[in-house]
Amino acid sequence: MKKTLLLSLFSVVFLQWSCTDQCTETRRYKRFTPVTVSLAEMRQSVRTETARDLISPGKIYTKGNYLLINELKEGLHVVDNSNPSAPKMVSFIKIPGNGDMAIRGNILYADSYADLVAFDISNPLDVREVGREKEVFLNGQFDGAWWSLNKSTGAINDQRVDIVTESVKVNCEDGNNGIWGGRAVFDMAFQNSASSGSSANPAAQGQAGSMARFALYDKYLYTVGQNDMQLFDISVPQKPAFSSKINLGWGIETIFPYRDKLFIGSTTGMFIYDNKNPEKPEQLSVFQHAMSCDPVAVTDNRAYVTLRSGTQCNRGLNQLDVVDITDLRAPRLLKSYPMQNPHGLGVDYPNVYVCEGIHGLKTLNVANDFDVKQLQHLTGMDAYDVIPLSNKTLLMIGKDGLYQFDISNPSNLRQLSKIPVKRVAI
Amino acid sequence: MLKASNCYRNNRVGGLLLILWVSASLCRLQAQNSPFKPHYVNMTEVGGLFGRVVYDVRWSAPLVQEVQNRLSLTIQTFNGVQLKPRLAVGATVGVDWYKTALLTPIAAGVRYDLVSTPKNVHLFGTLDAGYGFNWLQVDGTGYDTKGGMMLNPGLGLKFAFKSGSAMLLSLTYKRQEAKVTKPLGWQEVEKWEDRTYNRMALRLGFMF
Repeated sequence: MKKTLLLSLFSVVFLQWSCTDQCTETRRYKRFTPVTVSLAEMRQSVRTETARDLISPGKIYTKGNYLLINELKEGLHVVDNSNPSAPKMVSFIKIPGNGDMAIRGNILYADSYADLVAFDISNPLDVREVGREKEVFLNGQFDGAWWSLNKSTGAINDQRVDIVTESVKVNCEDGNNGIWGGRAVFDMAFQNSASSGSSANPAAQGQAGSMARFALYDKYLYTVGQNDMQLFDISVPQKPAFSSKINLGWGIETIFPYRDKLFIGSTTGMFIYDNKNPEKPEQLSVFQHAMSCDPVAVTDNRAYVTLRSGTQCNRGLNQLDVVDITDLRAPRLLKSYPMQNPHGLGVDYPNVYVCEGIHGLKTLNVANDFDVKQLQHLTGMDAYDVIPLSNKTLLMIGKDGLYQFDISNPSNLRQLSKIPVKRVAI
Repeated sequence: MLKASNCYRNNRVGGLLLILWVSASLCRLQAQNSPFKPHYVNMTEVGGLFGRVVYDVRWSAPLVQEVQNRLSLTIQTFNGVQLKPRLAVGATVGVDWYKTALLTPIAAGVRYDLVSTPKNVHLFGTLDAGYGFNWLQVDGTGYDTKGGMMLNPGLGLKFAFKSGSAMLLSLTYKRQEAKVTKPLGWQEVEKWEDRTYNRMALRLGFMF
């Protein structure tokens, strides 16, 4: 009996030998490494290559049967979309530092870090550079990584983004997150690639998403940067020529041309510009809102603005604002609807398609401004930006690929196809 | 790091030994003289979870580790059936107040009298295994705490009264897992913490 007692006591003591909590905090974060790209290198590496997989898709742009998908900082995927159920990857246009694009006729305008490049795309298999306006963009950002032009050295100071995993042993009881702190929410990945549907453009030009920073109107190409808008004269389509620069303030995100107006989304509000004189857009009004990221889509006398919280747009709200723009000089907020994390949106009146980021895609009926109804909520996909096409097809890009939906029945979208993103092990 | 993981292994091996030993003891169960009828049994205990944590000091190079001691409140109640004079089986429900996690373990439990003295003092083995739920946990913005597996083997002393109830004093090892997802900081994509609480539980209670 004594022996048993002894043994049991011993085992208990043995167990208590080291009662140490084991807590490991693991975080995956973006690491930025400075990279220098010389202007010569940047200009020489423009070429057409064979089709490749989507890896980090950005904005989308469509014209006719073709669809362009931006590969963040790498170039453009050309997709033959004559059959939306079976899109075909045709070729890849390698453009270093590319994030935005616009097409008129057979000419594609794309940014390549500091340069604006014009391409002849009459043969998508052999896209040729036909013009280049040099050193017009001074800085920009992709995926949260800023780049800037260093004129004196003739190089672009860029940053490479890697996702790094790091584990540390923590004290288990730190509920309120000290040093790595900050409540900022990750949202940068797609900062550079929002989309807004430009539905009223002349037929000869393509259609962009609601997160676009490029817009075509009359004989001008409008590009918005972080704090200004630049105009390029494209009366000779092959030779875009810098025309003027308009200072807009700060935190400019998207541009949405509608009829003869320009709607510019910024982190603080929506600017409305009158574009009757395309050479000299004139500011009509600003619709102020809480600081948030906000693409804009417009139809007739209503503007739909999504506000979301995110890294650059911290303390933001997540909502959809319905704004009455009958009087462009005095836009009026009619009603706000709570959303989850809205990014790009597209209007196909009376329906609005809202991308909710990781929460999927929502179809709303906005026939009644004061009673916007949700018709459908597709989940299990990442939604970043949409373009509703006139043939009742909806293009939607997200971090996991390009989706196409048949929207003839808005309350029951039918998925036609998906071009998946190739996962890269990190 | 190496030292810590060794300790953790020791604990596991120790736990396993004890379980084997308890089950071996079960086989040596001796017949009782007086007729025995299975009856309801309740053991309610309150006590402390004693432990420590060794952690990396952030941004320290070369790496500096610090140690903090830990003490959390624990309450639990075992409800079951005294199947045999020495053996009781049932379910254990408890609440453990870790500093940033309030967990509710629900477990299957066994109590077995190993040694009895003429003075009505019994040494008993105890084993609870189950899952700690986060039902009572309230998280700060951006935090999401999930519970995990729980294992609680150990020994106790039972001071029986004439009335049939008893006072309990137990010393056990408690292992509780948990996972916390955390709000993201600048440029972070994903952040979480895997927790394993390894504690010595010293409890005082009553049985009736």
